Amino acid sequence: MTSEFLLEIGTEELPASFVTHALRSMKAGALELVGQARLGTDSLEVHTLGTPRRLALRLRGLAPNQPDRDETVMGPPWSAAFEADGAPKKAAIGFAKKHGVAVDDLQKQTTEKGDYVSARVHEAGKATAAVLAEILPHVCQRITFPKSMRWGSGEISFGRPIHWVVSLLGSEVVDFEFAGVRAGRGTRGHRFLAPETFDLDEASNYEEALERAHVLVDLEVRKERMMEGLLAAAKALGGVLEPDAFLADECVSLVEQPFTVPGSFDPSFLELPETVVISVMRDHQRYFAVRASAGGALLPAYLNVVNTAQDPETIAKGNDRVLRARLADERFFVEEDRKAPLADRLQKLESVVFQSKLGTMGAKVRRLQANARALAEQSGVDAAACMEAARLCKADLETLIVFEFPELQGEMGRWYALREGMDSAIADAIRDHYRPQGAEDVVPDQVVGAVVAVADRIDTLVGCFGIGLVPTGSADPFALRRAALGIIRIALEGPIDIDLRQLIDQAYRHYAGDADLTPADEVRASLDDFFRGRIRAMLKDAHGGDVVNACLGAWDGTSLRDLRSRIEAVSELGAAPEFEALAIAFKRAFNITKESARGPIDRALLEAGAESALAERFETVRDQIREATGERRYAAALKLVAKELGAPIDRFFEEVFVMVDDARVRDNRLRLLGEIADTVNGIAHFHQLGTKLQRRDPSVSA
Amino acid sequence: MTFQELILALERFWAERGCLIVQPYNSEVGAGTFNPHTFLRAIGPEPWNVAYVEPSRRPTDGRYGENPNRLQQFHQYQVILKPSPPDIQDLYLESLRVLGTNPTHHDIRFIEDDWESPTLGAWGLGWQVWLDGLEISQFTYFQQCGGIDCKPVSGELTYGLERIAMYLQDVDDVYELQWAPGIRYGDIYKRAEWEWSTYNFEQADVDLQKNLFGEYEKQVAALLGLSAKKGKGGALQFDREPLERLVLPAYDAVIKCSHYFNVLDARGAISVTERQRYIGRVRLIARAVAESWYAQREALGFPLLDTAAAAQ
Repeated sequence: MTSEFLLEIGTEELPASFVTHALRSMKAGALELVGQARLGTDSLEVHTLGTPRRLALRLRGLAPNQPDRDETVMGPPWSAAFEADGAPKKAAIGFAKKHGVAVDDLQKQTTEKGDYVSARVHEAGKATAAVLAEILPHVCQRITFPKSMRWGSGEISFGRPIHWVVSLLGSEVVDFEFAGVRAGRGTRGHRFLAPETFDLDEASNYEEALERAHVLVDLEVRKERMMEGLLAAAKALGGVLEPDAFLADECVSLVEQPFTVPGSFDPSFLELPETVVISVMRDHQRYFAVRASAGGALLPAYLNVVNTAQDPETIAKGNDRVLRARLADERFFVEEDRKAPLADRLQKLESVVFQSKLGTMGAKVRRLQANARALAEQSGVDAAACMEAARLCKADLETLIVFEFPELQGEMGRWYALREGMDSAIADAIRDHYRPQGAEDVVPDQVVGAVVAVADRIDTLVGCFGIGLVPTGSADPFALRRAALGIIRIALEGPIDIDLRQLIDQAYRHYAGDADLTPADEVRASLDDFFRGRIRAMLKDAHGGDVVNACLGAWDGTSLRDLRSRIEAVSELGAAPEFEALAIAFKRAFNITKESARGPIDRALLEAGAESALAERFETVRDQIREATGERRYAAALKLVAKELGAPIDRFFEEVFVMVDDARVRDNRLRLLGEIADTVNGIAHFHQLGTKLQRRDPSVSA
Repeated sequence: MTFQELILALERFWAERGCLIVQPYNSEVGAGTFNPHTFLRAIGPEPWNVAYVEPSRRPTDGRYGENPNRLQQFHQYQVILKPSPPDIQDLYLESLRVLGTNPTHHDIRFIEDDWESPTLGAWGLGWQVWLDGLEISQFTYFQQCGGIDCKPVSGELTYGLERIAMYLQDVDDVYELQWAPGIRYGDIYKRAEWEWSTYNFEQADVDLQKNLFGEYEKQVAALLGLSAKKGKGGALQFDREPLERLVLPAYDAVIKCSHYFNVLDARGAISVTERQRYIGRVRLIARAVAESWYAQREALGFPLLDTAAAAQ
């Protein structure tokens, strides 16, 4: 067994988000370089540790020595290296010298391109410490950060300035230099609790030695200790900790040893909206909130994770003061805001620009109302409530508190609306119309919120597409992809279905007089395409890309729930064993009749047997299939297709040759297949179902 | 510790550590960074260690003297150490001791806070320093100034004097601070806050500010011989040799433009799209000044390099 190796880079305080990022790249870089240097073994373990002031790497199971290496190195063409009589030219002498072998030892290698010189090179492995000394500067250089900086007169970039480097293989220093700092065994403890430099005698003692110096280098250990402290402190306050994963990650990355200092604020601040109190504590001060019980009321207290707690009273007093000033500010804003009803802000929206070519927020709100009304009427829900919610949903943008906490938009509008005595359906919609904010967020569960949410998003989409602001690559400044996904999800998961084409057309019409958009046909076509792309991206993992494509092909771009029924029906059938054969048959029917004319089938021309049987079966069930399709009962329609047409069409393709010489028979046959293909295509485009099917059956021609 | 004792303690502390003690700039600035002792001296290879108080104006932060924490004019204590020394954090923590704050008895943390001034084309990485949850300082390693890479890097320490004084004096209202024995902050500045808030938000003449902005912008071009045409890759072009350009008066004009922009902003006279354009205009002239300053110092042979060498 070789000794353990430790690398520690001591820095000024790294930002919370930098540490995990840096450790990941440090680990990857070390693994790669150790492998390249032939120091890896099967038992190699790489472990990283870090605090705001240090990034550390521990390697266990390194090779005790770098193994020797024998290698054949290719050189110049033989003719360029040796005269015809075998005398070496300059190229041969140079090549031999470069690789430390005698010219006599060079060998001829015959390749496709001709004869080449080669050398057998033997490289003796070096001591592990010597190899590490060579690769460590590169390991350090490979560490990346979200942002890097230079400092002093140096040229090196790093997350923050570097102050010391520890590099120990067992108890021996592995000597190297990085960023002007010479590696050694001297490390430092906690900035305030153990500031002196001290020596590490042995790599494996790292964590214990640092813990004695008030540093918990392992992030997981530190977090566990921090959470224990927080939970105990919450209990001591007679409450429970408000869990907050973001805050926990943030706080653990801001301290080397976690201490919890509780603090309190005047209970009168609890009259503020809870979300404001939590935002102030969390976003401004990184304090944890405490509740009386899980899901219960907030206590007028907070928990602060700090780096030192020599004098908790002083620390709590200082923090109390800061929080008091902040909360007093917010109370002032809320009181000012409440002096006038929300609706009074609408006037101000008239001078806020939504987008320079699309006019003001005031105009947007008017379009929103028109969109909401149309959508409500089509969905058979309370249009007056939807219009009122649409009218007020942006009013809180002009409140002081939302100016202060932009992320509380909607939330605060709802809070003010409720206190004005507004109907809760409208108040909730003011909050919910921003939902879903992202893939993780829920959609509005009530109709009014859903209607306004859709009305808002479609206005943005139509407007932006209408002035050519179409997302490209990663550039999507108006979050149009998210807006489209929101509409799709609301239709599929929320309380109302959406007729996409109608929605787009209405929103377009409501822009009349507000903005100069490109022609309606173009906007509709590009949005239809855009939505189809989003639908594909959203559903392909669950249902398979080709199933989604097949259904999109048959879908007319109107009802989103209709599209979903198709996808579900095809997916359901897709799970059945007979599906593949069926898909192949319909695909074949489609492909063969792509170019041929449609028309009535002449029974007299049908051949007895497979062809007549198919025609007969089809005639019996055709209307049932079409009826089910027309009524959007796609699962039922597909069941009929599978049950009634599966066997006859298979038999048909096995026994009947379609492209016979007799044009009358052939065309009649094509008309029969064409009508079958068209009927099935009304449900989903089977010919768009994947390459997998084609590969398994080479007889199907495209 | 009175407000003025706080200033005196910092002056003495940084003077003893080799900083030049200079005076505030005599034009309206939004922060100590705008003072040419920082903005211009951070450019180029010459060493520079300086400390000064900077009364800083933020028109939009005015609250008519009614808010106990917000002011349209406050005081920064600004320290520039160029190149940033390795012990800059320790120096800073030591400075807190002279203010009577023992760092080990408090919770002091360095919280990521990157700084960027879009109008100055300047940015840096660093922290805000928290003392028991209160942001008392900004700490920045300058990476770029006027669009020019900072080599070497300057370390900038900015103390928020009002906040520190409120902490030290244990008062919740800035106007209750003792500036000197018997004289409160409010005695000096309360009325001023009301007047300036009223001016910035209500009475500043919009046309005048817009006009002044445009005129000073033209001045910069004239004083530097800045050509309207740009060279390859957008490079600025000048019709005057570096030593014929009046860099300092031109920089004054940049500061004026920046200030009038801030007043117009507070006055609500700038739309969102206009805003970006105004910022871009100031950034362009700030860059012209920065490049001219560098060219001028270079033409002079970067004289402070010799002074520093002689001192060693």
